[in-house]
Amino acid sequence: MVDDNEVITVVSEQGQTVELVSVEEWIENIDSLAASGKGVLIKPVDDVTLLKDSLNKIALIALDFVGFDDGRGYSQAALIRNRWGYSGEIRGINTHLDQLQFMLRSGVSTYDLQEQYQGSNEHDYTHGFSICYQAAANNADMKEKF
Amino acid sequence: MYQYNADDTAFLVERVDQFEKQLNRHLAGDLDAAKFRSLRLRNGLYMELHAHMLRVAIPYGILNTEQLRALADVADKYDRGFGHFTTRQNIQYNWIELPEIANLLRDLSAVGLHAIQTSGKAMRNITADPFSGLTKDEVEDARPYCELIRRWFNIHPEFSWLPGKFKIAINGAKLDETALQIHDLGLNIVYNEANELGFAVYVGGGLGAAPMVAPEITPFVAAEDIISYLESVLRVYNLKGRRDNLKRLRIKFMVREHGAVEFGRMVDEDWQQTKNNPELKLNMDELAKLKKDFALPIEPVDLAGFTDTVDFNYSIWKKNNVRAHKLSGYSIVNISLTQLGTAPGDATSEQMRMLADLADKYSNSELRTTKRQNLVFPYVRQNQVFELWQELAKNSLASPHQGTLAHVVACPGGDYCDLAKAVSIPIAQQVQQRFDDMDKLYDIGPININISGCENSCAHHHISDIGLLGLKKNEQEFYQITLAGETLHETAIGRKLGRSIAGAEVVDAIEDIVNIYLDSREEGENFVDVFKRIGITPFKEKVYG
Repeated sequence: MVDDNEVITVVSEQGQTVELVSVEEWIENIDSLAASGKGVLIKPVDDVTLLKDSLNKIALIALDFVGFDDGRGYSQAALIRNRWGYSGEIRGINTHLDQLQFMLRSGVSTYDLQEQYQGSNEHDYTHGFSICYQAAANNADMKEKF
Repeated sequence: MYQYNADDTAFLVERVDQFEKQLNRHLAGDLDAAKFRSLRLRNGLYMELHAHMLRVAIPYGILNTEQLRALADVADKYDRGFGHFTTRQNIQYNWIELPEIANLLRDLSAVGLHAIQTSGKAMRNITADPFSGLTKDEVEDARPYCELIRRWFNIHPEFSWLPGKFKIAINGAKLDETALQIHDLGLNIVYNEANELGFAVYVGGGLGAAPMVAPEITPFVAAEDIISYLESVLRVYNLKGRRDNLKRLRIKFMVREHGAVEFGRMVDEDWQQTKNNPELKLNMDELAKLKKDFALPIEPVDLAGFTDTVDFNYSIWKKNNVRAHKLSGYSIVNISLTQLGTAPGDATSEQMRMLADLADKYSNSELRTTKRQNLVFPYVRQNQVFELWQELAKNSLASPHQGTLAHVVACPGGDYCDLAKAVSIPIAQQVQQRFDDMDKLYDIGPININISGCENSCAHHHISDIGLLGLKKNEQEFYQITLAGETLHETAIGRKLGRSIAGAEVVDAIEDIVNIYLDSREEGENFVDVFKRIGITPFKEKVYG
């Protein structure tokens, strides 16, 4: 993520630079922002139901997981991906190694870690559990038991 | 008896493996302190005053003897030879070394035990009726539902980082042994008018500094819809619960601020969009399988002509510790771990092994734990109760004071716990010493005393006949007394008696309260009945007069 002259951008999975706007900015100018390929940056306090009707016009959604104990992003991701069926990229930003599998299962598709830890293997935390006991947006590679 | 299968055990091992990596990163200085705190609490680990405390779950209070022996082995191998059975059907070890925790948890996972989500801001071990499946007055055996809901909340991807801790109770009996309405979420099994099984849902109960009795938010959710309904409750809380004020994190504050009706509406609005999702329906095939796994493991026996031994001490013990079983020829036996001169709920490894041997011999290798810190033998043949009593008496575990005033419930308190403002256990011991005359205790009858060392209320003082809360004033220990809390028939928070009382005088105050009760009691009245009739004033006048 780059913060350049207060314009926040991310490089998408496909390698395109996508400029992010806030939820408030998006709902005020949906059509023009959609036409220029903008993404939306969702903060934990944001009400994601505001985006429901225009979701498929959003080029990329970034969810901010800045607070380790603030679990709102998981519900936001689940609503956007699972309930409303958003098919684009959901990027977790400021994410945490120890929470990666929770986040990916909730519907986040790509992520930027807040901090790297030495001697830790990301795969241990994206795939630490092979068995799951509940439906979720993404239970790929897991044995479901529910 | 129900046992975990290979998948469940593999899951427990995966959890230990991950926690071990996190512990190692912490020990290597390679994990942020606040993150480690959050992670270790979710694995039941507290950093305490003198050492580290580990809280191990006993899911819905059921143990087999293999598990009890494993708990005894852990006490010897990793602790100082004992464990503390808590008021929420967990067991705690107080002297654990960090580098040994992964091995300890691996030992437990081999017998299907774990410390997953026994603390932290997550869904916690379910509180259940220790007499589930055993009594005639049951609406439905809660255990199969407990197990399905327990599975569902294990590392739930969406609801593992909640605003606050989240405690669940599930009750299937007419008399509520779970204290359902002091939980963040309580499920009461009911049948609707069409005779379908479901749950009345209560949300927002809790003790602590702002005790609240959970209101009912819906009178009926069909059993097959309970997972989707729970998800909606959790989603509303996760998205809109307060995270800004550390003293208002629990869901009770959200329910209080919005009101139960509005909170119920918010849940319903979410639920309408998910209730028909087939992935969220309760798995009825799995439920049927669990019902078989939890079916009574014993057949009725015909004991026509059997007469029990008459013995003064045995008869006293039996009156208070043996309950009727739904199956003819059987009894339910309570074993009090609260001995004079020892900490309530503590059991030594020797006691655990001895109880495991006795449960193998007399109770089909199964035990239950209760919120009064007892162990229960669920399947004792009536013609073996006397023999069992003799064995217990030989091992100083046939205390007749269970169910009397001298059976005090207490948290570990200031001797063990970082949070405590006061000692609980020495006060409990003083009460036991003051009221040590069995004739007097029987005259007084079943009064509960619960002592919590701080506002976290681990000993449930708010819902006791006589509740004590430890406070600190000018470095001196004081106790605030509350009277006439209850949960069995209806849920009520105890009333404050008045200003707090110095530790040295608190046992005198308890004696005053008991004397007012005895002087005022009419035929058949218990403590709460008397309190409701005469009010708080006579107690106040006696204690402060």
